[in-house]
Amino acid sequence: MDLIFLLQDVINGILMGSIYGLVALGLTLVFGVLKIINFAHGSFLMVGMYVAYWIVAYTGLHPYLALFLVAPIMYFFGYQMQQWLIRPIFVAERDVREPITVIIVTTGVWYVLDNLALLLFGPDYRALSPNPLKGEMIEIGEILISTPKLFGFIITVLTAAGLYWFLLKTRMGRAIRATSLDRDAASLMGISQWKIFNVAFGIGTAIAGIAAVVLVPVYNVYPTVGVPFDVKSFVIVVLGGLGSIPGALLGGVIIGLIESIGPNFMTSTWTEAIVYGLFLLVLFFKPSGLFGQKYDW
Amino acid sequence: MTKKSLATAALTLLALVGMSMSAMAETVVKIGNVEPLSGPSASVGQQGKNAREMAVEEINAAGGIKSLGGAKLELIYADSKSDPNVGVTETERLINTDKVNIVTGCWNSGVTYPATAVAERYGVPFVVPVSVRDTITERGFKYVFRIAAKDSWWTRDQFTFLKDMKDEFGTELKTVAFVYENGDWGTGFAAQWKTLAEEAGYEIVLDEPYPSAATDLTPVVTKIRRAKPDVLLLTSNAADAVLITNTLADYKVSPKVILGSGGGHADPTFISGTSDNSKFMFDIVEWETDVNKPGAKETNDKYKAKYGSNLTGEAVDAYVAMYVIADALERAGSLEPAKIRDALATTDLKTGPAAIVAYDSIKFDATGQNENAALAIVQINDLGQGLERITVWPKTSRRADYTPVFPMPQK
Repeated sequence: MDLIFLLQDVINGILMGSIYGLVALGLTLVFGVLKIINFAHGSFLMVGMYVAYWIVAYTGLHPYLALFLVAPIMYFFGYQMQQWLIRPIFVAERDVREPITVIIVTTGVWYVLDNLALLLFGPDYRALSPNPLKGEMIEIGEILISTPKLFGFIITVLTAAGLYWFLLKTRMGRAIRATSLDRDAASLMGISQWKIFNVAFGIGTAIAGIAAVVLVPVYNVYPTVGVPFDVKSFVIVVLGGLGSIPGALLGGVIIGLIESIGPNFMTSTWTEAIVYGLFLLVLFFKPSGLFGQKYDW
Repeated sequence: MTKKSLATAALTLLALVGMSMSAMAETVVKIGNVEPLSGPSASVGQQGKNAREMAVEEINAAGGIKSLGGAKLELIYADSKSDPNVGVTETERLINTDKVNIVTGCWNSGVTYPATAVAERYGVPFVVPVSVRDTITERGFKYVFRIAAKDSWWTRDQFTFLKDMKDEFGTELKTVAFVYENGDWGTGFAAQWKTLAEEAGYEIVLDEPYPSAATDLTPVVTKIRRAKPDVLLLTSNAADAVLITNTLADYKVSPKVILGSGGGHADPTFISGTSDNSKFMFDIVEWETDVNKPGAKETNDKYKAKYGSNLTGEAVDAYVAMYVIADALERAGSLEPAKIRDALATTDLKTGPAAIVAYDSIKFDATGQNENAALAIVQINDLGQGLERITVWPKTSRRADYTPVFPMPQK
């Protein structure tokens, strides 16, 4: 195999993998704080993509400028979702540390959102228009790099860095970390658990919105678009360690590289098998993931 | 006898003759139809029902079956729910209780396969408009006739198309790449492609199954790019067809021919999802609304006005099936199953409303398969009214005044 091909595949793998990581970032944050797996995360991504799609279609804004509308809208959406749908379950099951019913509720939200989208928008595959990034490629000799994916990589790095800074340096960030470490102790220190849950869920959903904006120039929008990303995100989050931010990014890149380099040695059907095989191995040998905490507080 | 009473007598006689004639005209030919009218394939079942109704209305309005004294056709439906067991019991019921003269159906190959066996056992003619599984007509049955092409003919026609286009445009096509979804359908097609490509002397440079639910098909596309095939054969479901087409354009991969296998490429949203990226691509279909055959456009317009959608390949097969049955009944002049069967076996239908099919005549071989059944190939192009699917092959069905863009322009 030519070295130049390998380089091309590595670049594509890292770029696409970072976008997977961005999707997983929101999921891992929600898990870290609320200790629940949000099965509706892929649907939030889908909602974000529709929001971005309609904003661009109606205003003609550049997709990346639409980011400044999509992220707040999705934050609000996630915040209210937690406030009105998920919080009541937490309240009802306040004695259970990881209420299973919440997982069932998020699964319900997933089905409702996907079918609502099908009902409202139909099964059509919508391509962003106007799309100034469509088919934009950076050509360096034999190597082709997709411009929107490169921007996706940059946005992912900025988002992750921003989230890290927010969690480390701001008062709210510290409160979120405190709640994620021990929600009862945090409550005793005067931190409103419910408020933190709402904010964390809002941020997680806003990140899904950012990922949606990154994806929308290269991916078509349709009601079940979130499902394949959702499944991938779970694998990434487990791989990187539940609740770990660098774990989500690194997990994403690992999956991206396997998918991109693998097909040189086998058919792409098998790379999927390798991804899930790795997932199983991690569960067997290092269930906490690459960056996860070994002990759950 | 007065003149008046003579006139009355004459009138009475006339009336009697008329009555006896109308009494004869009331003999009906019962056609039982087993179709998926509920369940997952209900929309195709409904299309088949609409098409049958339109054809039967036309046949009855034109005077029914003249050799049977103007007998009218009557359609009786049974819902298979896409379930083979239900299909079998419903076929039994149609034959034993409703005493139907002919059965048609069932769209789902899985249902048609056992249901035709029931009809064969009772010796009742069974006309299959469309069910693609090869083996339906490969069991030595005498009473089963299929109008649509077999599964294996899709791939056969894809290669015939390549050969014909090569000859017509003098283009060198040497290497071929297979890229297909890794399910039953895709892998089945790929196995047939392999044999056909080897027979035709192509060099296979890539044989790549991929998961249909993939989030990124760039790795597949870069493999195609490096393999540099002249011909790219695709079998894709909906979302992946769009994704592959767009990624191919991004990476400026331009084989001389990109040929789809229906499915995702024939999905109504394929063109809107890919826009200009799908321009000049080819796809194989059973029938297209622009097929250059007399009456095709009118029939489609009538159907569209009546039922609100264009005729599909499946609907055309159902429509044509009614005319094949009417033609056979006309020649049989009897409702005896064996006579109808013999008439069906000697069908050679070239004219009339059934001639809207993309090929020249409907004719059954010894196995009951319509030996002329063929598929059509379309090219996606923009002739000033947005992107549309234009029939290019077989040449006899090609849209008038259209010259295919072949090979596809290099990017």
